[in-house]
Amino acid sequence: MPDDQKIIEVLEAREGRRTSRRDMFRGFAAASAAAGGFVLANKASPAAAQSVSDGDVLNFALNLEYLEAQFYVYAATGAGLPDSLLSGTGTRGQATGGRKVNFTDPAVAAYAREIAADEQAHVAFLRSALGTAAVAQPAIDISATPNGAFSTAARAAGLIGPGQSFDPYASDENFLLGAYIFEDVGVTAYKGASPLISNKTFLEAAAGILAVEAYHASLVRTTLYAKGMQAPSLIDASIAISNARDSLDGSSDLDQGLTTSRTFGGTASNIAPLDENGLAYSRSAGQVLNIVYLNNMAVTGGGFFPNGVNGALRMSAAN
Amino acid sequence: MKDRDIILEVMQAGADRRIERRRFLHFAGASTAAFSLAACGGDDDTPPPIGGTPTPVPTPAPTPAPSSALNDADVLNFALNLEYLEAQFYSFAALGSGLASNLLDGRGTQGQATGGRRVNFTDPLVAQYAREIASDERAHVAFLRSALGSSAVAQPAIDIGTSPNGAFSSAARAAGLVGAGQSFDPYASDENFLLAAYIFEDVGVTAYKGASPLITNKTFLEAAAGILAAEAYHAGLVRTVLYRKGLQTPALIDASEAISNARDSLDGMSDLDQGLRPRSTPFGEGTNIVPTDANAIVYSRSAGQVLNIAYLTAMSTTGGGFFPNGVNGNIRMSAG
Repeated sequence: MPDDQKIIEVLEAREGRRTSRRDMFRGFAAASAAAGGFVLANKASPAAAQSVSDGDVLNFALNLEYLEAQFYVYAATGAGLPDSLLSGTGTRGQATGGRKVNFTDPAVAAYAREIAADEQAHVAFLRSALGTAAVAQPAIDISATPNGAFSTAARAAGLIGPGQSFDPYASDENFLLGAYIFEDVGVTAYKGASPLISNKTFLEAAAGILAVEAYHASLVRTTLYAKGMQAPSLIDASIAISNARDSLDGSSDLDQGLTTSRTFGGTASNIAPLDENGLAYSRSAGQVLNIVYLNNMAVTGGGFFPNGVNGALRMSAAN
Repeated sequence: MKDRDIILEVMQAGADRRIERRRFLHFAGASTAAFSLAACGGDDDTPPPIGGTPTPVPTPAPTPAPSSALNDADVLNFALNLEYLEAQFYSFAALGSGLASNLLDGRGTQGQATGGRRVNFTDPLVAQYAREIASDERAHVAFLRSALGSSAVAQPAIDIGTSPNGAFSSAARAAGLVGAGQSFDPYASDENFLLAAYIFEDVGVTAYKGASPLITNKTFLEAAAGILAAEAYHAGLVRTVLYRKGLQTPALIDASEAISNARDSLDGMSDLDQGLRPRSTPFGEGTNIVPTDANAIVYSRSAGQVLNIAYLTAMSTTGGGFFPNGVNGNIRMSAG
């Protein structure tokens, strides 16, 4: 609860600083351009994209599903994924710092159980599709410590100050904001990966997971938006998180918070973050890693994956 | 409001009839000749693991033969027909008028969208949602028309009216929500609007997913994945709001189950649909905002199965229901 309070209080004061932080990230991007070079599955380098196999793409997705599944399963139950779902190629790590949310709204608790079950099933499905090629779960940080990934992400969004922590397990609202950090990213990741999958059966399955992530994202956004009618700082927080993601993944605008717009003679919500054609955005694997590593440079670990993800697609984009 | 009350009252009485109707439709469907465009293998058809746990097979499962006869334009035009329907429904509901006339022309016979009108929303959030979805669906129409260029099909005749013989009433009747001769008016209340939206949204998701392996051009594929995501966001929105309101008004949850069962009775034997009743998970009872299979993957419908629902028939035909004269384009026959 104190963390929740902190966020809501600190939000108003942070409005201005967010903009400058964003510019700072962009500055880093320009300065580190020389370090770049190798960007896998990036739109700008179709040649690189063609060298990625279906197994590489599905393993990349599996890393993200490990992260989502551990977060939701801990939040819903207080324990993580069963051991039998964690083995594989690469270095196996622990998911640390998760715990059960003491939910206030029983509907939010039921949402958490639904999403947890879906994400665990995604892990099991991808592991089964990959067989012995499946990567092990890498080290995952889902803790609430001031130096942990959630706090770093919340700090980048201006939700908390230096040395403060963001605890996604402290309240319904914090849990929903924690979920918000991931969900739209999953959608853009699967969409960005869709043209890279050559096998039609895997493509259709990936389209099916893409849809599930969009349903989840919509559930989280709709619930946050409705709660935001009473607590407007939740709306502001969604916009701040989207802006922080945008500051990490390059110069193009690929993200939208729970803003409103004027259309059809009145106010319209923005539950679905879409471009002017009504399409969801794409992120390359490198851009997705910028967000989960919480780093706009080309690196192989950090943030939610302290030692990086396992598999061939593991370097974030140089922005 | 009257229509809503009727729905709520008739719900219980309709539950048993639904099962009988479902059996009948399955029987009727089974007795007709099989012709299914874009028939897909379904989710059970998972290829051997990439890493090859039991049997190492590098790159499996060639695309089934029938689908190769379709080109990308056929698939996108099929989607365009569905977007015309959704866009007109939401546009009328949100604004009281339909799509601009410059978004309607093209190949095939152009028709009117009839019977739509503005919803007098009670909950301002539902009004906001309607405007958002209306705007998105109109953008989808414009985008697909632009991608197709001169190949784009015209809007076919669309029935989004409220008469007892109209498509919405027929769909609601098939779900047991209204009785013989009664009408379902999707514009009468927030709840009716949400239930009508519910009739469409999950179907759009399964349609785009089912079509995904048929699209050869990678740019179109990625765009279609983007529309798929948008439809899933919309479906998630509608289901979340209905579920939330259903905590106070349980008949809405029952209605969602009834509509899902009615869709299932139209599109063949396999269970491709789920309502909003909570389900058991490994972690206790959870909601069911996301309708998925055991792998937590959404279902696919072939174009023929989607047309079963849009035409409101379990048989193989070329029109009916929401498209009285059928859709335009090469994919126009429902599955048998």
